[in-house]
Amino acid sequence: MVPKKPKVPSQLSDYQIRMSFAINCQGLHVRYRSKSGKPVEAVSGLSFGVEKGEIVGFLGPNGAGKSSTLKVLMGFIEPYSGSAKVLESESGSIESRSRTGYLPEVAMYYPFLTPFETLTLYGELQGLKGKALRNETFELLERVGLKGSQKKQNRTLSKGMLQRVGIAQSLLGNPELLILDEVTSGLDPIGRRELRALLQEKNKQGTTLFFSSHELSEVSRICDRILIIDKGKLIAERNLKEVEASLSKYLLTYNGETSLFDLSMEFEEDESGNMRASFATKDALIEAIDRVKISGGKVTDIVAEQGSLEDYFLETLGVAA
Amino acid sequence: MTNSGFWAIGSIVLLVSSGQLTKNISKIVNPPGKPAGLEAHETHAGASLLGQFRTSTSSWLWLKTDLYLHNGVELRAQTDAEIAAGEEQIHDADGWHDAIGDEVRHVTAIPAKNSDPRGFFGDIERATQSFSDMHGHTHIDPKSALPLYRLMTWLDPQFLPGWTIGATVLANERKDSAVATAIEYLNEGLNENTQSIALRVEIARLKITRQRDFKGGIPILREASNLAQVADFDPNSEDGESALDAFRWLALSLREIGEFQESIDSAIRGLELFANDPVLMRMANPAPGIWIPESQKAYYKEMGKS
Amino acid sequence: MKKLLIWKALARGVVLESVRRKDIWVVAILGLLTILSAGALGFFGFSGLELFAKDLGLTVLSIFSTVLAVLASSRMLPDEIKNRTLYPLLARPVSRFDFLFGKFLGAVAVSWISFSLLAAMVAIALFTFGVTFELILIQYAICKMMGLVLVCAFSLALSAYLTPAAATTLSLVLLFGSSMMLRGLTMAALGSPDLAWLYTSVSNLLPQVGLFDLGSRATNQNWTLVPAWVVLALAGYMAIYSTAMLTFSWAKFRRRAI
Repeated sequence: MVPKKPKVPSQLSDYQIRMSFAINCQGLHVRYRSKSGKPVEAVSGLSFGVEKGEIVGFLGPNGAGKSSTLKVLMGFIEPYSGSAKVLESESGSIESRSRTGYLPEVAMYYPFLTPFETLTLYGELQGLKGKALRNETFELLERVGLKGSQKKQNRTLSKGMLQRVGIAQSLLGNPELLILDEVTSGLDPIGRRELRALLQEKNKQGTTLFFSSHELSEVSRICDRILIIDKGKLIAERNLKEVEASLSKYLLTYNGETSLFDLSMEFEEDESGNMRASFATKDALIEAIDRVKISGGKVTDIVAEQGSLEDYFLETLGVAA
Repeated sequence: MTNSGFWAIGSIVLLVSSGQLTKNISKIVNPPGKPAGLEAHETHAGASLLGQFRTSTSSWLWLKTDLYLHNGVELRAQTDAEIAAGEEQIHDADGWHDAIGDEVRHVTAIPAKNSDPRGFFGDIERATQSFSDMHGHTHIDPKSALPLYRLMTWLDPQFLPGWTIGATVLANERKDSAVATAIEYLNEGLNENTQSIALRVEIARLKITRQRDFKGGIPILREASNLAQVADFDPNSEDGESALDAFRWLALSLREIGEFQESIDSAIRGLELFANDPVLMRMANPAPGIWIPESQKAYYKEMGKS
Repeated sequence: MKKLLIWKALARGVVLESVRRKDIWVVAILGLLTILSAGALGFFGFSGLELFAKDLGLTVLSIFSTVLAVLASSRMLPDEIKNRTLYPLLARPVSRFDFLFGKFLGAVAVSWISFSLLAAMVAIALFTFGVTFELILIQYAICKMMGLVLVCAFSLALSAYLTPAAATTLSLVLLFGSSMMLRGLTMAALGSPDLAWLYTSVSNLLPQVGLFDLGSRATNQNWTLVPAWVVLALAGYMAIYSTAMLTFSWAKFRRRAI
């Protein structure tokens, strides 16, 4: 099957720029200096936008430039060139950070503080205080399933529990945008399901989600759109429903003389002399079945196949390479 | 050139220039090349409590006793330049420095206001540290330094001044028990330094002068003088200085108890090592009225000629 | 007001971590053992021990509190980066300066708590040795605590530029060796009037932590209290030097990629 060429916008349109974006990157370049002193470009001319209220998955292989991009958005590093805006403010500015929640990949929290103290600390830095902070801290810890562990020191918690602490702290202050790096890392299936429900609930309340994950199954369940990055460049940007639709395939096995060239993408003959045709849409399949019957042929088998996001991801990377 | 290259060259330049700077400063500060006995610590202007030229903790503690005696005011030896310029030194009021034969010219380690180039920081240092005009200064009770002497001897049992001076301070109190404690302290030191002449001389001196125990003291002085004759000691060390004292005290003590012959013999033995010592010469050449055996008359006639 | 809350929150985090990590308690116990070992010097009885006990007590207090302050400050930034605890902190609407200053205040608080604990131990030990209380000991404590602020700022500045081990080592060398170096530079200035300006300038750049140590006056006999203008001058010097060191730290940290 010939994969479709990925759609890569070279530049955002004026309309897109005028729209209210939660994240807006234009021509972003990020460079590091390697140990040998040579400059290494981690992100190369990246441009994309995330609209308010969207859930966008940011995907790519290891070393693609995802973390570098997220660090620019949070102001941990400065871009070499290009611009990045978060909630209409400069990325990394106090204004943008005050309205953004961030979950870092592999973050540690102070080992001798408890989850309650950790969230209190971060909440105070967020500008929250007093009873409101206290109540919110209790609620969030309960929401992420840490009610019984809120007074235990962080060093006694498992990786999954620490990840829940991280999720809780990212939700402090009810941010408008959540930037989450490897959000499901360390969580068991129950935890992932609970997290998914939480994030969808937040999205319904108007929070924009922008997260990177290697768990493509999770991405496919929650995202509206995906961005795929490789070697610092954006190689694909697709609406997830479109991707899923393109991954669907229907196989029809039949015998008889029927013309289906205008409907099908592939034909092959099996050992017993039957023909096998594949169709991208259900409508084409139904039409094909009708034609076989009309022509006196016989339908012997119908199979519906759903390709995974992983297949699409690997194919896209393969094409880009 | 890479950043690493610049750093490397810069470091080398810094090392070379700091080496040259150190050479320039050391001419002024005049540190000892090798500390040779206590004098090295006391005579060199660069020597200080902060230990840049200390080779042992006991030496450092030794300087600390000086600090205690001066009520915390740190003194240093004048530099050659200061001496040459005729800068005034610090004298003490009670003659203690003179009494110990202290030939070193001292000034306060913190400069006085009129000679301090540091301005404000100098004023602050003089106000926050123990600094005062030490001209005509007195010393506080040396007993306050006793713990330091004890510590010195624990850390470095071979550090003889810790035993001898500590015992002197202990015995300073005019009590029999104080003398007994001092002698016990010295005996402890002798156990650690079995060949020490200085410790023997101190024990004998205390027995003889404070307890009038000639019977107890003289055998110890004999041991000390015998050791002085056979031991290979450094004349500038504690033992070296005490070797002369051993012969002097032995000759004097023997004379006191009427053992004139042995007294003279002892003085003669001492003169073999310290040929020009006036005290031994006098002891070996007694005044008229003192009995001289026939066998020695020729010798004294010879002495009279020289 | 908001900045005060931020600094207070960060400082409180530092203190809680330090206290629970039990670093302070270990040092306090070591300090107490050192001081009480002076009792073994009761060979001479307790009379005559007062001066030595005060000297030892204040020396232990000075050394241990300085070491703790250096360790608390010089490892702070590098540990935050290495342990990745920095990311969730800087993800908050907190400027890098506020973060740095809050952490600095935390280091100072830890140093002061350690000092107070050690001072309490020393006070108990000195009381055991029959040492009478004098007002100059209060002045000693106040000045020493001001000196610890300077120590924290200096160590923090070095940690922004050097590796943790290098920062700790250089801090300890420069802080404990500063008196010796300053003495050498003063003597060099006395010996070379033409270059006195150079030696004096270099010595003015070094942290003059020795000025904050009234140990020699507090230990020995009959020294008067330090005049109020001197204490104020020390406070001013501490403020200026610490500000310079913090600015120095911030200049590096504000642009640092993390």
